[in-house]
Amino acid sequence: MRRAVTLLSTLVLATTLLVAPGAFAPVQAQNPITKDGQNPMGAKPTADSVNEEFLFKNADKITGRVSIPDGKAANLIQPQGREYQSFREGYLPWIGAIFILGMVAALGAFFLWRGRILTDDTQESGRKILRFNAFERFTHWMTAVCFIILSLSGLNYIFGKRLLMPLIGPEAFGALAQWAKYSHVYLAWPFMFGVAMMFVVWIKDNIPNRIDWAWIKAGGGFIGKKHPHAARFNAGQKGVFWMVAGFGAAMSLTGVMMLFPFALLDINGMQVMQVIHSLIGIVFIAGILAHIYIGTLGMKGAYDAMGSGEVDLAWARAHHDLWVEQEQAKTLSGPQIGGGRRHPAPAE
Amino acid sequence: MKAFIVAVIAAIGLGVAAMYALTSNQKFAYQAFATTGARVSEPGANLVGEKWTGNPSTNDTSESAHGKATGEPSHPKRS
Amino acid sequence: MARMKFLCDADRCIECNACVTACKNEHEVPWGINRRRVVTLNDGKPGERSVSMACMHCTDAPCAAVCPVNCFYTTADAVVLHSKDICIGCGYCFYACPFGAPQYPRVGNFGSRGKMDKCTYCSGGPEPDLSVTEYEKYGSNRLAEGKLPLCAEMCSTKALLAGDGEMIAEIYKQRVIKRGYGSGAWGWKTAYRETVAI
Repeated sequence: MRRAVTLLSTLVLATTLLVAPGAFAPVQAQNPITKDGQNPMGAKPTADSVNEEFLFKNADKITGRVSIPDGKAANLIQPQGREYQSFREGYLPWIGAIFILGMVAALGAFFLWRGRILTDDTQESGRKILRFNAFERFTHWMTAVCFIILSLSGLNYIFGKRLLMPLIGPEAFGALAQWAKYSHVYLAWPFMFGVAMMFVVWIKDNIPNRIDWAWIKAGGGFIGKKHPHAARFNAGQKGVFWMVAGFGAAMSLTGVMMLFPFALLDINGMQVMQVIHSLIGIVFIAGILAHIYIGTLGMKGAYDAMGSGEVDLAWARAHHDLWVEQEQAKTLSGPQIGGGRRHPAPAE
Repeated sequence: MKAFIVAVIAAIGLGVAAMYALTSNQKFAYQAFATTGARVSEPGANLVGEKWTGNPSTNDTSESAHGKATGEPSHPKRS
Repeated sequence: MARMKFLCDADRCIECNACVTACKNEHEVPWGINRRRVVTLNDGKPGERSVSMACMHCTDAPCAAVCPVNCFYTTADAVVLHSKDICIGCGYCFYACPFGAPQYPRVGNFGSRGKMDKCTYCSGGPEPDLSVTEYEKYGSNRLAEGKLPLCAEMCSTKALLAGDGEMIAEIYKQRVIKRGYGSGAWGWKTAYRETVAI
């Protein structure tokens, strides 16, 4: 019995195998591909493929699908990397060098031409008036210290390998650049905080008005002896304030985008952020160089405002006459004016 | 001068705080680029080192088992 | 010396990902680092093609140019390598790379992404050839053993070609002439500023 079943099943199988090709034959006949990829209709079905030239006509980069959960890997080719390369290596070092060295040269020439701006002695010389309180000075210096480290470590990205690396060797420079990068990333946060605080503290004194226009027309007192009127901040200082606020905001925005790469932007967005960050950074550094010059070497008596916070009354009367009047009206006998105190400000 | 020193200390303090905040925000590549189906527990340490700094020479590889890495697995194992 | 290049014949690539697996195994590449990947274009549509992509070892490599610490160098075989001792993990090479080759051990902030890792064309790094430290930092060095990159060597359809640029271009050219079509040498124009003329 078992033998009969086996025989029967073998027969069924054999019949199926014999009949099968016949049954599938019409299907095979319908397939136009006969042999060696040749299509009797003359077309090459496999040749109808995408190609690089066609894809670049539709989009500026070639993107596909990848099986790894890293979205950035889906970009096959982005030729914009070459453009980024030519900007960063072709233009940026020249832009940086021209702006920063140009500013240094301009300040040097100005110093040789004008010299240190002095204030004529009056009977008010020696008396002190509080210009910036401790909190204002704290905010300024926190931002300033961060800015100096950020600008040096930032310039290191562009010029470090050109200037410093040949001097100290690649290993030492690598370690230094690593620490510079950490400081750049971490000190960016107190810098952003400081800029925000300075903005809040000084915005009320920095709204542009008509006095500023007169100040600009008078050349800010740099030309000639007579000083134009100015309130707490003159037009030049207001310019510095708005530069720090504007550039600080732009640097913060682009910087945060770069700190969290690809969080919101794609690869081209990251490149643009880097370009904006570096260009504004260079102009910012050049601007702050002028600010440092006029606050220290360029003008006698100006540094005290941020050093001890108290400036000479004669200096204040000359440069910020409207502000002195305002302060004296506010506290005629108050603590604002150190009446008769003649001790010099501590040298810082 | 006092304001300056306080400013420097505050800058360093905020910088250190930012360092901790940013470091805790970071993920290892094996955590970030794994799906729930993968559940990577031993992502490997060649090329990146035990601490995934990318520099094996700074870590002593002699003590710990091969392929172990610090940090949490990408996804907790289902029980 | 040869000018080493990669060429992926997209008309032959079947997206089997064997090149990716071979690379992972050869260098013990950890999870999350992808030195090589396969990108499928026009996925699911007529004319779909897959391209296996890694570092193309460009002529005038953008990564090397933008690196702020000059950690890249080009070998005599025109392979673009880098030193992990100098790299600071800033990520600029990723912005510059047209092919998305650089990989970082940590994702998230710019500050501490760890040392960059990328395809070495199976030729190690600046450490002594075939040393343990070289393997731990850069993976195996097949070129020093006289072998070509494993991804191309074990490609089942011989879609991925590695070797001297002129030789692989000639092989690809003959294929295109024989079969009558070809979607071109992907990425060559961007990487080498030339393409395979047929």
